[in-house]
Amino acid sequence: MREGFRKELKDLKASVIAIGHDIVDVTRDAVRALVEGDVELAQRVIDGDSDIDARCLGIEERSLEIIATQFPVARDLRLLHSLAYIAMHFERMADLAVNIAKAARRTAGRQGPQTLYDLIQAQGNLVQRVLQAMLEALEKNDLEMSRKLQDLDEPIDHLFKQFFRELARLQDEEDIEWGSSMVLASRYLERIADHAVDIGERITYMVTGHFASCEDDEA
Amino acid sequence: MSDTLDCAASPAVEGAAPEVKITVRDLDFYYGDFHALTGISCDIKARSVTAFIGPSGCGKSTFLRCLNRMNDLIPGTRVDGTVLLDGQDIYGPGVDPVDLRRRVGMIFQQPNPFPMSIYDNVAYGPRLHGVKKKSELDDIVRDSLERANLWKEVKDILDRGGLTLSGGQQQRLCIARVLAVQPDVLLMDEPCSAIDPTSVQKIEDLMAELKSSVTIIIVTHNMQQAARTSDETAFFLQERSGEPAVLVEFGRTADIFTSPKDKRTEDYITGRFG
Repeated sequence: MREGFRKELKDLKASVIAIGHDIVDVTRDAVRALVEGDVELAQRVIDGDSDIDARCLGIEERSLEIIATQFPVARDLRLLHSLAYIAMHFERMADLAVNIAKAARRTAGRQGPQTLYDLIQAQGNLVQRVLQAMLEALEKNDLEMSRKLQDLDEPIDHLFKQFFRELARLQDEEDIEWGSSMVLASRYLERIADHAVDIGERITYMVTGHFASCEDDEA
Repeated sequence: MSDTLDCAASPAVEGAAPEVKITVRDLDFYYGDFHALTGISCDIKARSVTAFIGPSGCGKSTFLRCLNRMNDLIPGTRVDGTVLLDGQDIYGPGVDPVDLRRRVGMIFQQPNPFPMSIYDNVAYGPRLHGVKKKSELDDIVRDSLERANLWKEVKDILDRGGLTLSGGQQQRLCIARVLAVQPDVLLMDEPCSAIDPTSVQKIEDLMAELKSSVTIIIVTHNMQQAARTSDETAFFLQERSGEPAVLVEFGRTADIFTSPKDKRTEDYITGRFG
């Protein structure tokens, strides 16, 4: 029953997942642009943001239209509300990737200490792992995977702190300017992973109807 | 001699558990050999709106009629189990069904005003219960029509026939007629299915106003209406043809329509069957 309605929900979820895959790509590209000093790649990330913004807005609009016209309840309502919520997270994650790309533009042409490049690349790799897990949880309604996101996020936070410690060792003023951009990029990566963890909690609600504890966020 | 059910409701105490108006335990209902309902247990809270939902033939109207013994009027029916109104068994020996139906009034799908004036429709019940004084009847008629949100529309045509009103006005006249005998509970069996959307809105507004003084139970096929108007929702289901219907889930309406506990409830309200 309500086959057309079900197809709409399925298509909307597929659209959200497609945006999610693009978030994985732009985050990876932004980190690569930063580490390799690739200004062109950084610009492509920045230019692509308006498309992601428009698609995220489209998800929110379509969710509202379906809620207004189809009166969804229970799991259908939770799905629609959650998709709009996740799209909002994706829009912010893309903005953070743009911020990393802008840091890449600022730092390109200057070579800083290799340790910091290594740290940001390691952090970028861990963020990729969190994003992939989040997308898998979303695609498969996988509660176990969504619960793992918090654990996957922890080493990213540690790397961010380590980044700070390394930054403190810089002496040269140019290095400090460069390092400040890099530490901001590290902070943006950490925030992207935090969004993924929030999405994991939303997936738990979407599937079970119960909100996951927010205690960890407040700690 | 018949017992008169005590209609004094205890005042609500802040912070206390919500007062239960109707308690049903292990209710089974039979139309002759046909076992229509089984194992129904629930507590209906006082001064709230409770919605009964479920597919056609799931027994929700049958159960509603068990609550004021309307089914007694159908030959061959039988009720097992307990229905308590303010703690008193409505099927207990000596309970007068007519007195019970005054306390537990009913509104039907089709408005059914009597073929008499608007005034006489509303005054009918109080007159039957012995109110004779014109000024007292005038007050009851006005108060009941005001509570039914109909007074402004009919105050100048009270001597006109009730059947001359529109469908939505007729339904509110029927509500005023029930309110005139000061019921504790209002049973509404699909009260909006035969009237226009504006009148539906007026009746839903009316329910929200009345629930501060009356316990309302509504049977509705309109899921959005159940979600809009009720505080608690009961989902009934006859799983297989020939088997008695059961009460699958009973809970806060907000919970039922966002996170129902039972998969059968979820499948029904999301339109996967029914």
